[in-house]
Amino acid sequence: MEIPAKVLEIADGIKAMRIRGAGKIARSAAEALKIAALEYSGPNDEKVFRKYMAHVADLLISTRPTAVSLPNAVYYVMYRLMTSSGSVKELRETVARVADQFIVESLEAVRRIGEIGARRIKYGSTILTHCHSTAAVSVIVTAYKMGRIERVYSTETRPFYQGRITMKHLLEAGVPAVQIPDSAVRYIMHEVDHVVVGADTVTSNGAVVNKIGTSQVALAAHEARVRVFVAAETYKFSPATVIGELVPIEFRPPEEIVPREWIEANPGVEVLNPSFDVTPPEYIDAIITEKGVIPPQAAILVLMDYFGWALSKMRHGEAKIRFEDTIE
Amino acid sequence: MSIEELLSKHGFSAIVSSTEYTRHVLDELDKGIEGISSYRDLYRVYRSIIDRAVRERPACAQVVNVLRDIGLAIRDMFSSRKSVGDVRVAVREKTRYWRERIARECEEAAIIASHRLVDGATVLTHSRSTCVLKAVEKAREEGKKLEFYVTESRPGMEGLLTASEIARMGYRVRLIVDSAVRFFMKDIDLVLVGAEAVAVNGAVVSKVGTSLISLIANEARVRVFVVAPISKFNLETLFGELVELPESDWRKLMSPDVLASLPENYVARVPLYDVTPPSYIDGIATEKGLFAPQAIPVILKEVYGSWPPNILDIEDLVEELDRLSRGW
Repeated sequence: MEIPAKVLEIADGIKAMRIRGAGKIARSAAEALKIAALEYSGPNDEKVFRKYMAHVADLLISTRPTAVSLPNAVYYVMYRLMTSSGSVKELRETVARVADQFIVESLEAVRRIGEIGARRIKYGSTILTHCHSTAAVSVIVTAYKMGRIERVYSTETRPFYQGRITMKHLLEAGVPAVQIPDSAVRYIMHEVDHVVVGADTVTSNGAVVNKIGTSQVALAAHEARVRVFVAAETYKFSPATVIGELVPIEFRPPEEIVPREWIEANPGVEVLNPSFDVTPPEYIDAIITEKGVIPPQAAILVLMDYFGWALSKMRHGEAKIRFEDTIE
Repeated sequence: MSIEELLSKHGFSAIVSSTEYTRHVLDELDKGIEGISSYRDLYRVYRSIIDRAVRERPACAQVVNVLRDIGLAIRDMFSSRKSVGDVRVAVREKTRYWRERIARECEEAAIIASHRLVDGATVLTHSRSTCVLKAVEKAREEGKKLEFYVTESRPGMEGLLTASEIARMGYRVRLIVDSAVRFFMKDIDLVLVGAEAVAVNGAVVSKVGTSLISLIANEARVRVFVVAPISKFNLETLFGELVELPESDWRKLMSPDVLASLPENYVARVPLYDVTPPSYIDGIATEKGLFAPQAIPVILKEVYGSWPPNILDIEDLVEELDRLSRGW
């Protein structure tokens, strides 16, 4: 069955990293499912439609095998399709409605996280944040507007200096922000009241996969008894980790750290560039989601609530679900 | 564009090691005394060199200890009214003595440290330390098989130089960003770093980031060794003085054209040193042997003959020289 061109374009955009950021990827995938449903041109046969949607779902998931938000968005929409009955017309409307719902919820999530998280910040606080996270910035800016924050330290976040993006957003919002090098985290920690960071992925045991350096920021905070808050939308919780699937850590090109000329001049030096690390739940005080604040140990409950269906499927098979296999 | 130019946008600057800095100060003193024709001239040269050292490397204990020793010799000669020519010769002899002694004690401490570099070990080092490089050289001479991780060591990124130098000795070196230390700590057997100063309680002042690395090593039960000749022990801390730690700004993080691309009100706080508490240090390799940080008072008693060591504060010494040189 023919897949609409717009859907293929989104799939390719995710694959080629033109569509980036966990939230954007998730919303694009939901959008693609909606387009696929609305532009379905096959026979008026419910079974054929389900098979077609399963095919599109599998295609979308395969574009970025390590992403978490992407399959979660697809599970969210496909679960509602699988548990709905009706005519092709009704099913198409269901998919479109659920996809829209996901997109709205996801956009709303950042604002909700900001409001929920800001209430956790003490008055007169100094905050430390690492890398750039829209959710973490939302918490900080909201808390600042409530008069709770006096100063924010933002790490540069080598190799890509995402901390400079954080600085831009914070300064634009009028937040008094100061950049520090990543190596100065322990030096500065005694001035800090709360660490607020984002997450790439939250695992079932409450560990947080995030930008390289996050785990040592959390360790330094733990040593200084500074609370660590992770701002993360529920679609960042990874169902696959419940069955013990490890989150793969990507090593990126060495040229991101030093210029190619330096690498060529130093053939005896291997430049290693892991992009994420894992912060154990012991170093995290709370995860702020759009559904509320949870201790990291409750991550499994979030997964059961929102992706319980995917979990039970995975428990009996592969870490990744193939929707086409679920069709008779 | 040269490699240095390419790196300048990352704030690469050739920060010299503290041992190199002390040598540089001795050279300056030699140059300064060439043209003196009175006690007053010598006092002015000596004083300007101390002022500059305190301004440039306020935490560098070795330079203070060496200048104190030379100042005491000058005081004695002023008191016994030696001729200016005799004083000049004596100062030159002193600088030669210290130049040789610094090289010798660094080498002896390095030999002691190199005993800890056991065959097959993977070693992490930070920043660029003359004595650490010497220890690696000694291990190489003994044909030890070692592997190295070197942090880029922002601000300054002198870790790049360390990585090059160790690789040129024929060792396998991996260069990582400062944020990746915890990610790789499980692969490390031993951390070896140099020092700007060692406080009497065994705390080590070193390049910023060292205390974070030591914390991470401690968490992973990886041993931390510091190479520091006794001339780096900060005797001033006996008087309860805190080691004053200098900070820099955006200049150590980027070039002016990079700053121009950032928001107008961009601010950076760039500490250059931090303090590693004695509890995170397993041993300090000195020319007198390897000691637990807690044993430092014992070594000092042995070296200076009394506890606490009877030393003259450098400021008081300068005042005395000021008085003695008036009218001469």
